[in-house]
Order: sequence, then C-alpha cells, then structure tokens
Amino acid sequence: MRSIRLFLVASILATLTLFNFVAALQGYQSSMEEAEALFDRQLEDLAAIVLNIDVSGEVEGISLGNGILFQIWQSSELLAASSGSPAESILEFEEGFSFVNFDSYRWRGFTQFNPSSQRWVMVVERTDLRFILAENVVLESVLPILLGIPLVGLLIWSIVSLGLRPLDKLSTELKKKQAHDLSPVVYENSARELEQVIQSTNSFILRLDEVLEREKRFSADAAHELRTPISALKIQLHNLGEEIGSDHESFQQLQSGVERMQHLIEQLLSLYRTTPEKFAQNCHQVDLYQLVQEQIAQLYSSFENRNQILELSGDEALIEGDDFALQTLVSNLLSNANKYTPEGGKILVSVCEIDSDIVLSVEDSGPGIAEEDRLRIFDRFYRSDLGGNSNREMPGCGLGLTIVAHIAELHQARVVVEGSNFESGSAFRVKFRKKK
Amino acid sequence: MFINSVILLLQEILEAALLISVLLVITNLFHDIWGRSFVLRKTWIFYALILGCAGAWLYALVTPTVSEWFDYVGQEVVNSLIHLVSLGFLILLSWVAPSNYFSDKTSQRAQLVIASMVVIVLLALVREGSEILLYLGGVTSQSENVVPVLSGAVIGAGIGLSCGVILYYGLTSLSHTWAFRVCLLLLAFVCGNIASQIVMLLTQADWLPYTAIAWDTAGLLPENSITGRLLYALIGYEATPSILQAVCYGLAMLIIIFGPLFRLAWPGILAKNVEQ
Repeated sequence: MRSIRLFLVASILATLTLFNFVAALQGYQSSMEEAEALFDRQLEDLAAIVLNIDVSGEVEGISLGNGILFQIWQSSELLAASSGSPAESILEFEEGFSFVNFDSYRWRGFTQFNPSSQRWVMVVERTDLRFILAENVVLESVLPILLGIPLVGLLIWSIVSLGLRPLDKLSTELKKKQAHDLSPVVYENSARELEQVIQSTNSFILRLDEVLEREKRFSADAAHELRTPISALKIQLHNLGEEIGSDHESFQQLQSGVERMQHLIEQLLSLYRTTPEKFAQNCHQVDLYQLVQEQIAQLYSSFENRNQILELSGDEALIEGDDFALQTLVSNLLSNANKYTPEGGKILVSVCEIDSDIVLSVEDSGPGIAEEDRLRIFDRFYRSDLGGNSNREMPGCGLGLTIVAHIAELHQARVVVEGSNFESGSAFRVKFRKKK
Repeated sequence: MFINSVILLLQEILEAALLISVLLVITNLFHDIWGRSFVLRKTWIFYALILGCAGAWLYALVTPTVSEWFDYVGQEVVNSLIHLVSLGFLILLSWVAPSNYFSDKTSQRAQLVIASMVVIVLLALVREGSEILLYLGGVTSQSENVVPVLSGAVIGAGIGLSCGVILYYGLTSLSHTWAFRVCLLLLAFVCGNIASQIVMLLTQADWLPYTAIAWDTAGLLPENSITGRLLYALIGYEATPSILQAVCYGLAMLIIIFGPLFRLAWPGILAKNVEQ
C-alpha cells in the first residue's frame, strides 16, 4: 500500500531541495567570482592610494592590513615597502593583475606604473585569506537556505495533511461503518474531488442493500412457504408407509427425497438466520467445549449407526458468539465427518487453546479432500468428488460448508482445511478469537 | 572547502541513493507481480541502513590500520574486496531471484533476494559512508572549516538524496514493464561501474598491470563537472578509463544482461503477467 501523503511530501521536498540547493550552489559560484572581482578592484584602489604616499620621509612599517603587502619602485630602487615585504620586487615590472608564489603562500598582485613620477607600485594580497573572507560572506547567504529546509519540510507535511483531511475523514467514516450497516455515507462539506466518490459509494450501498434485502426475503419466504407443505407431505408419507409397507423401494426413495428436501430447507433457513444484524443481537459468551459436547450427544446415534469411533478432547473454552449459529456450525462439521468417514472409521473432535486462539478441530479418517478442491468446497452448492466415488451419492445439498464459512466469518474466525493426522482424511479447524 | 565537500558528498550519496532507489523499486515490482507467492517486505531497507551506517563507522575507525596492510595498499585491496562481494551479490540477485518463482520454495527464494539486497546496500554504505566519515573527520578538525564543510556536506547530501527520491518516484510512476526494464539496465550499469572500480583500485595497488587508456572524453565531458559526476553515479562514467577497466565494465554488464532476471524484464513472461 503506497501512501499518498508520503509520496507528496517526499517528492515535493526532494524537488524543492534539489532546485534550492543547485540554485544555492550556482549562487555560491557566481558570488565567489563577484567577490574576486571586488577584491581585484580593491587592490587597484590600494595601488592608487599607495602611489600617492609621500616617500620623502620615513615610510618603513606601513601596513595595509593582514595579508596585504606593497612596494614602490623607481628605476630599480625600492623607495618604500610595507612591513614584512621582501627586499626584491614582489611582482614583474609589468602593469596589470597577476599571481605570484612566495613566502609559502599564493598571492594575487597588481602592478601600476605612473609615467609622471616614473614610479612602479606593486600591491599583493594573500589568495587564501581573500578566499576565506569571500567564502564566509557568501556562506552567510547560503546558510538560511540550508536551515530553512527542515522548516519547509514541516510546512509541506502540514499543508499536505490539511489537503488530505477530507480523504482521511471519508476513510474514517467508511471504517466506522459496521458490516451490516448499509445506510448511506453522510459527509457534509466534502471536497469537490470527493463528491463523485461519495455519490458512487452511496449508490453502490443502496443497490447492495436492495439486492441483499431481496435475497433475504426470498430465502426466508421460500423456506417458510416450503416448510408447511413438507410437513404435510411427511404426514401423508407416514400414512402411505402404513398402507403399502415402509420397505417398498419406491416408498424408501420417496422418503429419502423428502428428507433431503427438508434438510435443504433447514440449511437455507440457517443461512438466513445467521445474518450480521441477527448475529449482533444474539451475541454473548458461549462455552464452545460444552456446546460441542451437546451437539455430539444429539448426533451420537448417527455415528453409532455407522460404527464410527468418535473422540472428544479439550476443556472449557469461552468465546463471544451466537449460540444457535455455533450449534449449526458444529453440527454441520460433525454431519460432514459422519457422512464422509467410512463405516468403522475414526473421528477426532477437539477444542483447545493455541496461542491466542480457541481452535475447534474435526478430523476424520475419510478419503480426504483434494488440494484443488479445498478452496471451492466453501462455495454454495459445490460438492467435490471424493476418492473417485461420486459425491452425489451422499445425502446433502452443498450448503453445509458454506454455512460453516459464513458463521465463522460472522465470528471473525478463520476456517482452515488440512489433511488429518490419520492415514487419510481431512481436518477442519475453526480458529476463534479467545474472549478477553 | 565548501565546494570540495559538496562534490565529495554529492558523489558518494548519489551513488548509494541511486542503488537503494533501484533496489526498492525492484522490491515493489516483485511484490506487485508475484505478491501472493513472493512476499518481500520493504523493511529490509531499515536493517540495511542501520547495519550499513554502523559498518561505515567501524570501517572508518580501522581504516588507518587497514591502509598499512599489504605494503601500504591495504585500503585499495580491502575496498576492491568489498566491491567484489557487492558484485557477487548483484549477480546472485539477477541469476537466482527469478527462477522457479512459482515453485514451493518461493519463501526461501524471497529470503535470499532480501538477504542479497541487504548485503548490497550494506556494503555500498560501508564503502561510501566510511569515505564521507574520514573526509569530514579530517577537515573539521580545524574549527574554521566546520561551517563551510558542513554546509557543503548538507548541500551535497541534499542534492544526492533528492535525486534518489525523484528517481524512485519517477520509476514507480512508470508501467511495471518499463520500470523493471529501466531498473535492470541501471543495475547492469552499477555492476559495470563496480567492476571498473575494482580494476582501478587493484591497478593502484599494483596488483594488476597498467594498461593503456581506452579513450579520452575529458575534453567533451570532464569527469569533475556536475554532469560528469551525475553520470559517474548513474552509469559509472569515466573520461579516461584504461582498456582493462573498459573490458571488465563490459563483461560485468553482459553477465547481468544475460541473466534470467534481465531476460524476464525484456520481452518474455513479464509482459504477459503484468500488463493489467
């Protein structure tokens, strides 16, 4: 996930820094050249002043400042010189600017000849001192740019944060919405750029609400409407059984068909009952271990009929959840294990605490689930082919695991399908958050 | 003093910043392309930065001793060794990272890629950082140098880092295919540059023979101009390389160009996987 804020702050600051610093560098170079020219003009002025010195009296010991020397020559005779100046001429007898090395330093010099007095004036200045002086002056103007960068960074950060505030507010508003809250997003005084986003989101939420409502109503109505005729059908079936004998083949097929239809309707009803809004109302503390014990007790006869060995291990495990929904989840997992484990097979059920999770595992010694099927088995009406035998022969409607996944999601639990610890078979693990 | 420290810091920081930017963009690309099966966390950069800074400081501390090794060419030899290890890991990255990325061993491969990136950045920081520390430590011992040297250092580092950030965001704004292509081309240049530096250092240490100058473009584009330094950091530009340097530069580039990662970036599987 890339951050818009970080992108804006970093790229604006980098661009500003780059241009400011390159400009400062350019400014430094041109200012240094300007300072050099200024020092040269100063050297010229000094030469003009020195030229007017009256050399008739004592001129020994005159100093023009730190690092500046002069000499006045007339016909190869040194008329006057500043203190520290060597005895020989410090520059060539040639008018203009030049560089010279002596006394372990490099000097910038200026020579001037006065035809009326026939005098040569030579003025030199140490280049290192000139450079340091110039650099100190120039750096005074560069320093504020450097010191200003952190401040500019802070300002950019604040401005970008201010600009992104409407987006932040919208994202907080959306985050606050509960899973079942399908009311439109109310956002007053939003930014013009976000209006379309809010409009589209609200229209999407509205359409979603309508679709969900229609689906909910359909499954509820269908299930309720079908339950009554099924009950009537079962009574008629019972009467028919008494009349023609319950071991009649057609009668048995009819009975299993009616039972399958009833099962499907019950599953559709549980899917409806476990909607987010109902879940929020019914959520309370549940001991998962006890609930599993009760479900096993209820379904024990089915395991006994198939001579399956069922083991339960674990201890009290408190979670937040909906009692009825959890009963459906456990009973679906147990029924699946019962159906897919062969006669005399083993089923291991455990409720244990692993790290900060409460894990409900149902492992069986059945044929197992192929890896490519493991994700699809949670799809509605999907039924995998197991161990080469058509799964269609098994009673069921392909909704059981959909309901398991749905209930787990409501409880913010994760369902994992793995191979079991038996030689073959699968293990369903539902990882619930432990109640704090 | 000011301009010297601008140039030194600019060159060293720019070199490291460009390498880090390219590797970060490659991390993003791996993440986006093979996100589910090839999990790379960007936090590797923090480990690399911390370790690299510590390493640079340590190396700067021992440099006086190291430089006395091998008849006073220790620094050249150790620096070339550091370069050699970097080059090895860059080659490892380009040859090992992409193969079997859909296989079961992707997590180990991702770890290998991250480890290679950490080592490459760590060594780049040790190399460049120690030079910066030695320079700053030396010149700021005189109090009158402190302000010009430090201001120059801030300007040089600022320009170098800004270029790195701009390159990073510039590359991330490209399409995946083109970002990958440019990154790998830059990585090939980085390898060429490192190989050429190894030769230069070992020649300086007299461990390799001097060879004639391959070409001279000093008149056309001087090495110490701003453009020259920028090109040095970006593609390892040298105005007067020796023949051996040029040959090794070309060979190192070829190793990357013929590596599977490079072939993946230029037509091939990527185009099919990435264009969404």
